[in-house]
Amino acid sequence: MTRKHASRKKGSHTGTVLSNVQAGECFWKLRLRFDGEAARAFAGFTPGQFIQFDVSDLAIPSTGSIPTALLDGARRNVLLRRPFSFSDVTADADTTTADLLYCIVGPASLRMTTLREGDTAHLIGPLGNGFAVPEGKQTALLVVGGMGLPPIRCLAKSLSIEHPDIETVAFIGSRTVNALPLEERPARFDKGMSLSVPTFATLGVPSMVATDDGSAGHQGPVTECLSQWLRENPDRPREEVIVYACGPERMLAAVAQIANAKEIDCQVSMERRMACGIGLCQSCAIECRVVGSDETIYKLCCQDGPVFDAREVVFGADDA
Amino acid sequence: MAERFDMSVKFAGLKLANPVFTASGTCGYADELADFLDVDALGGFITKSITLKPRKGNPTPRIVETDAGMLNAIGLANVGLERFVAEKLPVIARMKSAVFVNVAGTTIEEYVAVVERLAEEKAIAGFELNISCPNVKKGGISFGTDPAQVEEITRAVKKACGSKVLIVKLAPAVTDISVTARAAVAGGADALSLINTFTAMVIDIETRRPVLANRTGGLSGPAIKPVAVYLVNKVYREVAREAGIPLLGLGGIRSAADAVEFLIAGATAVAIGTASFVEPDCATQVVAGLREYCLRKKIARLDELTGSLHEPA
Repeated sequence: MTRKHASRKKGSHTGTVLSNVQAGECFWKLRLRFDGEAARAFAGFTPGQFIQFDVSDLAIPSTGSIPTALLDGARRNVLLRRPFSFSDVTADADTTTADLLYCIVGPASLRMTTLREGDTAHLIGPLGNGFAVPEGKQTALLVVGGMGLPPIRCLAKSLSIEHPDIETVAFIGSRTVNALPLEERPARFDKGMSLSVPTFATLGVPSMVATDDGSAGHQGPVTECLSQWLRENPDRPREEVIVYACGPERMLAAVAQIANAKEIDCQVSMERRMACGIGLCQSCAIECRVVGSDETIYKLCCQDGPVFDAREVVFGADDA
Repeated sequence: MAERFDMSVKFAGLKLANPVFTASGTCGYADELADFLDVDALGGFITKSITLKPRKGNPTPRIVETDAGMLNAIGLANVGLERFVAEKLPVIARMKSAVFVNVAGTTIEEYVAVVERLAEEKAIAGFELNISCPNVKKGGISFGTDPAQVEEITRAVKKACGSKVLIVKLAPAVTDISVTARAAVAGGADALSLINTFTAMVIDIETRRPVLANRTGGLSGPAIKPVAVYLVNKVYREVAREAGIPLLGLGGIRSAADAVEFLIAGATAVAIGTASFVEPDCATQVVAGLREYCLRKKIARLDELTGSLHEPA
């Protein structure tokens, strides 16, 4: 990402829809263009940061195109904005383009499918703290669970450009292969670490896929692949390794446990229901440990996160 | 160039630049909003609830969206009195808007202790007494639904707040809101704010569990606006007009048109709550829209609107 023109200020912005297409069985891809101040604001977008998307004035698709499972809820009014991270941000001199991957889960995401080229998107951002790259890291291990892919994809791109010296590999987990938001599906997924997943391979990042149902790659939790890699690469000095993860909380808890046990730095991108995204509503509490104390405190996912140090988070099962 | 129009209103002896507040619990401690609007352009600012000791708040999920509204069960999460004084008050002291500190507690003594500590602070115009929070186990709404307790706590806090303005925030889910309103006035309230949220529940039909970790939460947003307009009008007609007590109307306001309804119903000022979550600059948009309405309707002063409801045709 070019940071030359970046501003660090969050704010209310508008973007122009360049395209909005169903990009896979389970997900859509919305491409936005930002100009002027918004372009500068999002040129400074850090992978893992997020935006709050206003969908309240978007139309409902015609009944025929609403998935049966969503028919009951489809007509419900949408009041609050919805948080999303970007999977790709490209900044040049005057404009910034950003990709947002989403799957249809309720009345808000259903409405987003009606955005057409040239429409205006209203959003607030960039919000929160993204992934950070501490000094001295030589190896980055990226762990994805399902729709946790977009911010990790964004991070992989950023690492490939800004830290080409860091060896980066990705572990991609999912319930089933079709639930992965991969734009380009390989003819076959290799069992082991390979360049078979184009989303990461085009960035020079080898990856390993794990699915619960065995529909692609390793059958089992993605954390088994992470553990296996760590076993097979025992010679890396642990202070030079960092793990980045985004996915369901259960997966993040397992990743954190592995990293913490080996005293490897680990950053996890958390998710909570949030009303505002800017610290007003206090809904998105994350229970965190306090150094040197048995007590825990609540931090806010929107302001203190969404990316947290894995050592501080007290993982729970909520919102999973 | 916009036509000049004096937006100021008198509110419990204070002269406010305009009648639009941000509501407690929806505007943080002010610095959170500063990226999105000029906090000095607000008529009033009400902090989130401050308690004597810090409160962690409830486990998550703390919110759930409903049709035209949302439920929250934050549980009065706040930094507590001492950190509020040390960290938040200096930020608030720089604001030009009238700042009210919302005070909550589990005993009358806790309310009084918070108010006593802050009563001499120049940065604060007054207090809003939260006796209507539905999301805490002790205190909160239990004070607000019993008229005898409303009067007692109002009297105790009024004594502690010196020359500062005391607003009492009323719970909506009572048999007759005028009874609690009268109790607050009898206890010495300088103003009343209404309404707080309604206790409500959303159930996940797949798991048969309540969505909120707290089981229930307070319903806010556009869904409650017509009820709030009705209750403001009722308290205005039955209590406030005669007692000369101003009302701060809130509940689902997200536009100037919504705000005008509350003013006509009897409010002297209005507060923006849930709408700030969606449009952080909603309050200043409402100020601009109110100005346009007054110019269009050739209204000389905003207080002409207060309680100006006509009988049905």
